[in-house]
Amino acid sequence: MKVFNKILYGATFALLVSSCSEFMDINDNPNNPDAVTPELLLPTGLTGAAFANNNELNRFGSTVISVTAGAANSPSAYDVYDIDSDDFGNQWRFELYSGSLIAFEEMIRVSEEVDAKAYSGIGKIMKAYAFALTTDTWGDIPYSEALGGLGNTQPALDSQEDIYKGAEGIQSLFDLVREGIADLGEESSLMPGQDDIVYGGDLDQWRKAGYTLMLKMAITISYREPALATTIINEVLQDGELITSNVDDLNVRFGMAQGSYAPAHEWTNVSTFAGDLIISTRFVNLLQSKNDPRLPLFVTAPTGSYVTIDNGFAGQRPLPQTSWSRFSSYVTGNGAGPVRLVTNFQRAFNLAEAVVRLGVAGDANEYYQEGIRASMSLAGLSASEIDAYFAANADEVNLTGNVDDDMEKIITQKYIAWFGNGVEQWTDWRRTGFPTLAPHQNAGGVDPNQRPLRAQYISQEINRNPNFPNNIFSNVPVWWNE
Amino acid sequence: MKRVLLSILFLVIASSSVWAQGKTVTGRVTSAEEPEGIPGVNIVIKGSSSGATTDLDGRYSIEVPSNDAVLVFSFIGYKTTEQRVGNRSEINLNFASDLSDLSEVIVTAQGIERDERSLGYAVQSIKGDMVSQKSEPNLLNSLQGKLTGVNIVGSSGAPGASTNINIRGITSFTGSNQPLIVVDGIIFSNDTDNTQNTLFGSQPSNRLNDIAPETIESVNVLKGPAAAVLYGSRASAGAIIITTKSGAGLENKTEVTVNSSVNFQNVYGLPKFQNQYGQGTQNDFNNTSTGSWGPAFGTPGFETVETSFGTTVPYQAFPNNIRDFYQQGKIIQNGVSVASGDRDDNFIVSMNTTMQEGIIPNSSFDRYSVQVGGNKKLNNGVKVSGNVTYVRSESQNTIVGNGGSAFGQITRIPRSYDLVGQPFQDEFGNSLYYNPTQNHPLWSLENEFLRSKVDRVFGNFKVGYDISDWLNVSYRVTADTYVDRRKDVARIGSARTPAGSIGEDMLFRSELNGDLMITASKSNILTEGLDATLLLGQNINQRNFQSLGVFGTDLNVPFFDNVSNASVFTGSGEFSNVRRLLGHYAQLALAYNNYLFLELSGRVDQSSTLPANNNAYFYPSVAASFVLTDALNIESNFLSYAKLRASAATVGRDADPYLLNTFFSTASYGNNVASITFPIGVGGNNIPGFAVGTRLGSDQLTPEFVTSYEVGGNFGLFNNRLSVDLAYFYTQSTNQIFDVAVSNSSGFDTQTTNVGEMVNQGIELELNGTILQAGQFTWDMGLNFTRIRNEVKYIAPGVDQSNIPGNGFVGLTPSIVRGQPYGVLVGNAMQRNDAGELLINPLTGGYLPTIAGQVIANPQPDWVAGLMNTFYFKDFTLGVLVDTRQGGDVYSFGMVDQRNGGALEMTGIDRELPRVLPGVIDMGDGEYMPNNIQVPAQTYWSGLGGLISESGVYDATVWRLREVSLTYSLPRRYLERTPFGEASIGFSGRNLWFFAPGFPGDPETNTQGAGNIQGLDLNGMPNTRNYGVNIRFTL
Repeated sequence: MKVFNKILYGATFALLVSSCSEFMDINDNPNNPDAVTPELLLPTGLTGAAFANNNELNRFGSTVISVTAGAANSPSAYDVYDIDSDDFGNQWRFELYSGSLIAFEEMIRVSEEVDAKAYSGIGKIMKAYAFALTTDTWGDIPYSEALGGLGNTQPALDSQEDIYKGAEGIQSLFDLVREGIADLGEESSLMPGQDDIVYGGDLDQWRKAGYTLMLKMAITISYREPALATTIINEVLQDGELITSNVDDLNVRFGMAQGSYAPAHEWTNVSTFAGDLIISTRFVNLLQSKNDPRLPLFVTAPTGSYVTIDNGFAGQRPLPQTSWSRFSSYVTGNGAGPVRLVTNFQRAFNLAEAVVRLGVAGDANEYYQEGIRASMSLAGLSASEIDAYFAANADEVNLTGNVDDDMEKIITQKYIAWFGNGVEQWTDWRRTGFPTLAPHQNAGGVDPNQRPLRAQYISQEINRNPNFPNNIFSNVPVWWNE
Repeated sequence: MKRVLLSILFLVIASSSVWAQGKTVTGRVTSAEEPEGIPGVNIVIKGSSSGATTDLDGRYSIEVPSNDAVLVFSFIGYKTTEQRVGNRSEINLNFASDLSDLSEVIVTAQGIERDERSLGYAVQSIKGDMVSQKSEPNLLNSLQGKLTGVNIVGSSGAPGASTNINIRGITSFTGSNQPLIVVDGIIFSNDTDNTQNTLFGSQPSNRLNDIAPETIESVNVLKGPAAAVLYGSRASAGAIIITTKSGAGLENKTEVTVNSSVNFQNVYGLPKFQNQYGQGTQNDFNNTSTGSWGPAFGTPGFETVETSFGTTVPYQAFPNNIRDFYQQGKIIQNGVSVASGDRDDNFIVSMNTTMQEGIIPNSSFDRYSVQVGGNKKLNNGVKVSGNVTYVRSESQNTIVGNGGSAFGQITRIPRSYDLVGQPFQDEFGNSLYYNPTQNHPLWSLENEFLRSKVDRVFGNFKVGYDISDWLNVSYRVTADTYVDRRKDVARIGSARTPAGSIGEDMLFRSELNGDLMITASKSNILTEGLDATLLLGQNINQRNFQSLGVFGTDLNVPFFDNVSNASVFTGSGEFSNVRRLLGHYAQLALAYNNYLFLELSGRVDQSSTLPANNNAYFYPSVAASFVLTDALNIESNFLSYAKLRASAATVGRDADPYLLNTFFSTASYGNNVASITFPIGVGGNNIPGFAVGTRLGSDQLTPEFVTSYEVGGNFGLFNNRLSVDLAYFYTQSTNQIFDVAVSNSSGFDTQTTNVGEMVNQGIELELNGTILQAGQFTWDMGLNFTRIRNEVKYIAPGVDQSNIPGNGFVGLTPSIVRGQPYGVLVGNAMQRNDAGELLINPLTGGYLPTIAGQVIANPQPDWVAGLMNTFYFKDFTLGVLVDTRQGGDVYSFGMVDQRNGGALEMTGIDRELPRVLPGVIDMGDGEYMPNNIQVPAQTYWSGLGGLISESGVYDATVWRLREVSLTYSLPRRYLERTPFGEASIGFSGRNLWFFAPGFPGDPETNTQGAGNIQGLDLNGMPNTRNYGVNIRFTL
């Protein structure tokens, strides 16, 4: 019996002792990591930003700006200006705040811990890009208090003015990019490679993208803050290296297999929602009126002629759907994209605008022509084809010296060049009123006489965060557009 | 337990001598439970001290002074009975058991045996014969209607389908609300693993299905936290303690028991259909219509019609087209057990098989189990015992759910469609059906199914030693582990996955427990009459779970059901978790003069799932019991026994594993418009990507608590002929571990934290009595009644509504809503005026559009009750159980389908006459006019509302003849010259009749199976009526 007692005491004692630490220390999740390295977050952030620009907001932007027409489902509502708080919830939630933004936030945090300055630099530039897209779309948004997790589960909104210009406790988007560019110039413990699906790890190109992004953001606020915009543009012209070649474009590349497609390819050619969008008759008419050689390169014509509908058209859609004119592989890349976020032609048109409107030093006409050439080259036209177009269409490719006329020319050419990026087209139209667009048929929504000027805050945020106002509708301009 | 008592008492009493006097009366004492005779019954002559006791066969002999003598028969557990001798020289007594079981020994938490009178909380005990041979292979179903405070709802008549059980309401927002199941001391998994979407899939079993009812000795239900506190965290939803049969109490005999039964199953609960109108719409035939709104049969020009696949068929009613879709199911059960020994040394070997074919082709549930167990008291005083059971359970079921499934289609069969009389597939195996985008239901049964094969082993090993006569120490190890291998097949041509799909899943669960228990008992400590028992215990627990799955689509070879047949693999993965718990507990039980009892318990749990620096938590319970009649020496024929009890207890519950941190997962973007999933292929490289999880973990997480108060009383009236047990409880759940929604701009979607408050209050009443006793006829009746009210008091700051995790339809959400009972359905409600009248659209005569986001149904019943009648006559026993569920709602897709489709009987009545929907028209000036707009029948019936709206909600009130069983035990005199010890034959039936005033079918349905989502009939399988015959004999 004593033997038994000893065993029992021994067993119990062993259990009691072991229980103190190791026995209970088993709550490490075998299914999901609790920390990852920057190179696993970079592709997530980049594709998230590309989705934000290229997915539903592109279906909305391209439609509301008369490039595409809505044939069914949500796009047919966008086509008649009808958006409300049930729209773009996925974009806000999954592509921006819980997608690219939190991925970049986390990537910056992890990178700074290990002095991976290359990653923190890219992260800051891209975070600024994604926040700019968010505020341009929704106006005042959570920014300085956002992405705090447990630290702040109901962040307050910052005004768009403070987000762009900075304020007490609020770093301006420009400063965020400046900080990113500075990081890129420092020694880095880790260097991106394949995981950088934009530049393959070329930090010089990222630096150029950073300066070109600053130029874009300065142009965005330039009606509201011309002096600040001019200062920033002069700054980037002076010490910046800008994107000056199409190969420097900030393009997020996707793949040509199911599960890797760029969004515009999937909803144009693959998914069951491919019947939602058709190219607008108005866009085809615009390019035909300009004899623009990019038309057949941009827009498909499966039957040999362009099968399109007018914006807001409520009648029978053309049949069969296989005859429809759609985004060509210029936009979809057969799945690979790329999704163009910041480009060479954009830089050129922005500088042309800066010279024309803000009096920045330079030759506006040269910048204007550079923009058109860059776009045509990107579309696949050879130098001789471009020269031929320039020779035959001198009025179209030359500015006149009249500010209003020149602005219309610059932004209309920029609009054509941005084909496939409805977000940028919509933002330029909101800023400048160009290109001149006729109202859509059967327009409705909050104000049938006004194309949407912003997106409404999503209902889920209104339910969850009392800081969100629920009475700002899509016909209210954002701060830089006031 | 009674048998154990019997033998002990017999040994004590048999030693006393027997007097010899004048006239000799002989006889035999038997009872329904002990037809072979009750040994050790005390017989005294009233008014004297002389007496006798019965022998092992229940026979006695006693000398009486005269014919006026009165014999008083008494024995523990039976009603003391007086018999005047008169002229008789033989008096045989059929002893009626004392139904109040006042002196019953009850198995409580951790296997501790207690006298019922000492308990300060409600415990209900069911004997094995009340659940075995009742035409029902699922133990939980056979408990229906027999327990107070317990809500048991089966999900359907599919073989092996899961059954939901909640004790005293729902206490946790998102945790499991199923009680802890303990089988022979083994913590026993009763999980229901849904590998498919519960809106569309088949219904897996709850794993208590691995226990055959025939092996059960007793079931004890520990209802509240006070009763279950020693089991710790996991018993906050109560506990069910199952004891299986053993060789103890056989008095060194060896007994072979054989039982065998055959049962048949038929579909029942189908609604009544109309048979005047056929397929079509607006009184015209349409060969792809799901409705029966076509012309009346016999309409000239509609003698024959052309089907959607080109054949010409007569246009006539097929009145039994739905009923004939079902076949007769069969349940064959066989069991053999060999047991031997006595209380200290015994063994049992038993084998049981159950083979069930369902009421639809290609559905089955088969269970094979082998058990070996025994006890041994060694010469050195050490007691060892062990028990191992192996179970193999296999089930196969078809797919249920809205749309593309056999049961999604069966509610859309027009009355003129010859469902079973025509071929359902062509020569190539393609479905032939009126609706070309769906499958013929019979084709679905053949080609869409889920198969599950479970191999399970569970067992225990216990060693104990009496260090002295007052101190005992024991250690017990228990294990329960199983592997469930599942194959989920939808062959090529399946409506949901036309290219076919195959999933292969492996689920593994295991649980280990080690319990050290030290028990010290002393009598007359401190003062005379005060007894104390102190228990100290330690529990070590580990639970593992793992699932591995491969899912492939785009099959190549028809009828080749192997994942290698798939071309595209879309969902392969692994998930596993492990958790540990270390508990220390103590219980001090005090008894004063056997009428005042106090029990103090406490437990400290340390859980691996809580933050390491704060992972221990303590919770106490106190329970008191006071036997009034003994304390005050009340001797009354009216109030024979009175006990008052009260308890208060708190039980803490830990978190699920891995909730403390925020995790990363493989990134993906998009939805069905466009999507990517990492790794993505870019320029020939595979690029991995991870995303920050959307749930914020919390390293501040603390346990959730359930606090319960209970008061009750137990009264024996009229010499204990009637017993009454009353209980009232109040349970408050606080600090719930819950994923609360956060602002998305924080970068996250939810935050795991402690919030919420929910209250359950309830009344339980149990009445047991002997209504009539005349000669050899006895009529016993037992009534139970339960009424529970649940209310969600509070969720989180700024959160008044949250969905219950699980699969829900958009617009029909099982929810937690502040101020409402748990689990209400939130959906679209009709518009009403202030007086509650339905508002009619004056333009159409139909209802105005519905309003989203309203509470439309409450699945919790108002009250439930069961009435068990047992009649004993000679060797016959007849049991009749009627139960009812009053109130509570069921949301039924199927009935809405069949009503909108014009198939139900009510839609055929006066179809040619115009109708007016009940409601009022808003006159615009605050006045309302009764609706007078006439609409055709089709508009009327479909105007009542479609899917996803208030109109699918029905009152689930039902009265049911749940169970009838008749058993005949062969008298022993017939068996004397046979090798049989005892033999009986029985007939039983289940669900023989029901009456549901508010629902066209049987409202006991629950397509999502066991779990926190209840009250949804999403095109599930109907219920069955079972009946059969069983035999049992011993050798």
